[in-house]
Amino acid sequence: MKSKLRTLLFVAAVALALSACGGEISPTSFPGLTLDGADAYLASNLHVYKFDSATGVQKWMFPATEGDNNARPGPFAGPPLKFGNAIIVGETVGLNGRASHRLYALSADNGAELWRFSGGQREYTDGASTDGKLIFAPNGDNTLYALDPTQLDGGEPKLVWKFTAQDKLWVRPLVANGKVFQPSLDHNLYALDAATGKLLWTFSAGASIASHPAMADGVLYFGSFDQHMYAVDAETGAQVWRSPERLGGWVWCDPLLDGDEIFVGDVKGGVYAIDRRNGNVIWRSRVGGAIRAQPVIVGNKLYVLSSDTYLYSFDRRPRADANSASPVRVLENGLVRRLLSTPAYANGALLVPLFDGDVKLTAVDLESRQKKFEFPLAAKP
Amino acid sequence: MGDLFDFLFVNPMTNALLLLYGLLFNQYVLAIVALTLIIRLVTLPLTLKQQISAFKMQALQPQIKALQEKYKSDPQRLQAEMRKLGFNPLSGCLPLLIQFPILIALYQAIIRTLTVTPLSTLELGKHLYGFLPGLSTLVPIDSRFLLWDLGQPDPLFIIPILVVVSTYFANKVMTPPTTDPTMRQTNQMMQLMMPLMFGFFMLSTPVGLGVYWIVSNLIGIVQYYVTKPTLDRARALHAAPAVGVAAGAASPAKAEAAEKPLFEPPKSKVKAKSTGRVNRSASAAKNSAKGGRVTTTPRQP
Repeated sequence: MKSKLRTLLFVAAVALALSACGGEISPTSFPGLTLDGADAYLASNLHVYKFDSATGVQKWMFPATEGDNNARPGPFAGPPLKFGNAIIVGETVGLNGRASHRLYALSADNGAELWRFSGGQREYTDGASTDGKLIFAPNGDNTLYALDPTQLDGGEPKLVWKFTAQDKLWVRPLVANGKVFQPSLDHNLYALDAATGKLLWTFSAGASIASHPAMADGVLYFGSFDQHMYAVDAETGAQVWRSPERLGGWVWCDPLLDGDEIFVGDVKGGVYAIDRRNGNVIWRSRVGGAIRAQPVIVGNKLYVLSSDTYLYSFDRRPRADANSASPVRVLENGLVRRLLSTPAYANGALLVPLFDGDVKLTAVDLESRQKKFEFPLAAKP
Repeated sequence: MGDLFDFLFVNPMTNALLLLYGLLFNQYVLAIVALTLIIRLVTLPLTLKQQISAFKMQALQPQIKALQEKYKSDPQRLQAEMRKLGFNPLSGCLPLLIQFPILIALYQAIIRTLTVTPLSTLELGKHLYGFLPGLSTLVPIDSRFLLWDLGQPDPLFIIPILVVVSTYFANKVMTPPTTDPTMRQTNQMMQLMMPLMFGFFMLSTPVGLGVYWIVSNLIGIVQYYVTKPTLDRARALHAAPAVGVAAGAASPAKAEAAEKPLFEPPKSKVKAKSTGRVNRSASAAKNSAKGGRVTTTPRQP
């Protein structure tokens, strides 16, 4: 009996030890997708791609060569920013650390490098934003860099101003009405003057903010790691409401506004429809993995991506019971990889970036509930 | 399986690490020290058991060699005789294997809580306990410590050097002495290569992990000296019958060792003497084995 117990313990210990050692080498940050007419731009780990959003045919890739070493650009993360004829992407955390982190401007036509900014000391994880004049690039070195790409000096854009918070800036700012609203992991949302970088107000949430704010009628909506949603007056920084109910997990998901409803997910798989007027939960549901990607509405359905590899849909009809919403798997077998980045809808299909693996994105036809194409088309097995 | 490992080991440690961080004035290094200390204390019985088993197996080596020579054409008999002798190769490695997931989990918990990458931070959020909502407000942790950012590799190379030095001394202190020249050579090689390997690894690893490794080595060294009396007694107990000397000469040492409490403060001079005696005995055992005069009588319980 004692010997059997020992053998059992031995096998269990070996299995546990091995389970801890397994796994492939993964990216560290979330891919980003941007649609521009018929074109799609994808920043995914070692490359930035441009492809046809209807067919998946690749137009260019940056860098143009395969392979990885510290001398080549990348890895990349966050949604590429279209700025004139340039695509702005930033380098994120490398697997083995990096000596430098650069922000690149690539030609939208052919992917050639136009300029680079090497002032950031850490990772760019969620791309950049613009007001049409300046580029606002938040960095993991706690600093938001405001760059003027029309004034190049030695191949680098002019740094117009910079603002330093107390912790990492891991989400791109919202730019509206001449203001830059920058969330930070230091628990604060900062409002800055877009032209000068002057601090206008600071709003403190209960914990880190990593969700890109949404704005409607002069009110900003965002979630926090303290498991609450917030509504803040964009002009004064005054709190309009804090969701009375604590959600099930951190809110790292960009909220989606639709009429009087806010759709959002949390990192423990909770899906919520929240009343935009007072922060009350209208209905809630649950899926099998973390939700980081912003939900998407197509027709009468709400689509939610989860780290458990599944794309879920919810019926948007009004409900009598707040707990009656049940998720439906759009593809029964899922997409094999974790789904952590916001998708885009084009030509009847949802373009879903995959977190890792050789296939970088899958287009799912929502009508037939079948895969339309996988990008790159000739992905290696 | 990965989920089970997370549930059993990584999640409790991740939450404990953050809890300690909150309790210890938001000083992450103090949290690492505290948790490493707690884990070392909890696993101390296993560590002791493993070391004692190692002595036991080491002491049995001459007898096993003799048995292997004697029954080389009869493996079944050889196994039966070895069992009679009390030989169990797993008894030494089982406690080590049980500790292994704990150490890996601690390593993963540190990586998670350092929030070095967006992915690791997201993982952290998934695994915080809902009944401790205060932990969420501690994220991201304050990763500054003296000259360093705990979430970044050390540009000054001080931490990798300290990792090399502390690993070298920890290995040197904790590797049990052996009389086998091949084994001794292997040990010497390992004592040199392992620290260099860890040092190299630390060049591209967050400082926080290096701090954990240094703290763990230092605690290991202190733990070794605190438990040295117990280990010395165990070594004497197991080495004595293996030397092939008269049973009567070995018995008083065993009896004396058995009467002493399991833990007692180290008495360095006395113990050094004791260790020397044991080593000489072990040496004698080897000589005896060479001369083919090894007793295979099972030891007294």
